Amino acid sequence: MQNAGKMHREKPAALVLNLVLIFFSILTILPFVWMVCSSFKTNAEISSLTQTFFPQSLNFDNYIQVLERFEFLKYFMNSLIYALVITAITIYTSAISGFVLAKYQFRGRRLLFAFILLTMMVPGVVTIIPRYTMMQTLGWLDTYKALVLPSMFTAFGIFLMRQACMSIPDEMLDAARIDGAGEARVFHGIVFPQLHNSVVSIAIFQFLWAWDDYLWPYLVIRTEDKQLLSVALNLFSGRYSTDYAGLFAATAIAIVPVIVFYLIFQKRFIEGVSASAVKG
Amino acid sequence: MRRRGGALKNIVVCCLVLFFTVFVVVPIIVVFIGSFHQWNPLKGEFKFLGLENWKKVFGSELFWTSMGNTVLFAAVATFFRVMLGLALSNALYSRLIKYKSVYRVLYYLPTITPLVAVTFVWKFIFDPQIGLLNKMLGTDINWLFDSRYAMVAILILTIWKDFGYAVIIFLGGLYSLPRECYEAAEVDGACAWQRFRWITFPLLKPTVLFIVITSLISYFQTYIPVMVLTEGGPGTSTYLSSYLIFDEAFSKYNFGYASALSFVLFLFIAVMTALSWKISGNVQTD
Repeated sequence: MQNAGKMHREKPAALVLNLVLIFFSILTILPFVWMVCSSFKTNAEISSLTQTFFPQSLNFDNYIQVLERFEFLKYFMNSLIYALVITAITIYTSAISGFVLAKYQFRGRRLLFAFILLTMMVPGVVTIIPRYTMMQTLGWLDTYKALVLPSMFTAFGIFLMRQACMSIPDEMLDAARIDGAGEARVFHGIVFPQLHNSVVSIAIFQFLWAWDDYLWPYLVIRTEDKQLLSVALNLFSGRYSTDYAGLFAATAIAIVPVIVFYLIFQKRFIEGVSASAVKG
Repeated sequence: MRRRGGALKNIVVCCLVLFFTVFVVVPIIVVFIGSFHQWNPLKGEFKFLGLENWKKVFGSELFWTSMGNTVLFAAVATFFRVMLGLALSNALYSRLIKYKSVYRVLYYLPTITPLVAVTFVWKFIFDPQIGLLNKMLGTDINWLFDSRYAMVAILILTIWKDFGYAVIIFLGGLYSLPRECYEAAEVDGACAWQRFRWITFPLLKPTVLFIVITSLISYFQTYIPVMVLTEGGPGTSTYLSSYLIFDEAFSKYNFGYASALSFVLFLFIAVMTALSWKISGNVQTD
């Protein structure tokens, strides 16, 4: 009897909870669905008063035009290469820094680590003026050097990798040393292959952050051909501000690949979030 | 036991010290020194001004407006992020819910998408002619060009983009709580709200604090939605501190004044961080 009563109470509760959760799910995906739908509409269709949510017909004209008129493919490739290079560099620098901070005794080790963590608290806008002046003085404005160099080390990555290296037993490293391996061999041959979980976490998040970079490339890169996708979106919207359909297609080009990437690796993403919690 | 390292260790330590000195420590020092100068990189001008820039900062109405806007923005965005995060994570945690992982994946989706591109989509959503929002709400609001609503629009975008992260973190926190507490409470006949108020919330407190602190710190630095959506307007209603710094530095090339502004923001965030660390330290030792 008691069980039946409980069931009776639980059914409406489950319904309400599900409705709330579904409501918020719709809110989260609606902007993306709307963007994709609108990217297939014509400009006349978008500005019409009787605009429907779904496009009248599926035409790819906007995409073709955006790619032809504005060379979005080039910016897409620039962003892709930039994000891949930054990701590869930071994975390596984080791993080797984390290894050194975790596995060697030296004076000031704790201080150095605390100092690196503290740098995470420094707001980006604070350091951007001197960094810009630095690049200007070196004559590096408008080069990818200026773009990549300030991102070569990340406190977040070093933190993650240090945690991962701490869990590798010292005996394993000592055994390799007795076999005659140098310290570089110990790191590259023994430690690095064991860090794959952290490598994946850092790769995912670093890639997305680099893909999202806006202010620094906007300031440093002058030649339009070298610009990254997020800045190019802004250029496009400034130049063709009334071409809604084109801009919908352009934003879809920037967003949809990320969503696909996310859906493929969603398990890794969700696992990695708690790790990314450090960066916040 | 050659734990002392040798060349590899020395090279890495040198690189770390060099990198963080050049790209973090030196910039902070330069910003501090620059704040006492008339500094324009286009004219190559760098002239000592004394406290002029600092006086200008604290005497500037726009500075105080931007600080007020920033605090309001950060407080409201953090509040909604935490509330939605708590509510939805608790709903998801319920054993009455199936397909938990589907909801999780969906809620986290906005967080991983690129901010600039997403902000453009929202620019259209807020558009009074073609926009989705007015149509759905049945309103006729010029979201981005009405000083009463522009900040609301930026908040809507920010909360939409970020709440999922809080849901995932809180859900992780919930799963790490001891099951026995709940079973005991259920035996005692505690209702859902009582369970949340007396068991879940106290146990989740460190996680809540973590989200509050990291959210405040990142919202004090928000500028991209302002750059793309409103450029601080209408009037000065959406000027946030970071956007003001960017505007002074890279639209007006007033590097000296912008340096003073950014040093103030830096100190403000440093004090906030230190304070919240202290508070969270106290909570954890309770």
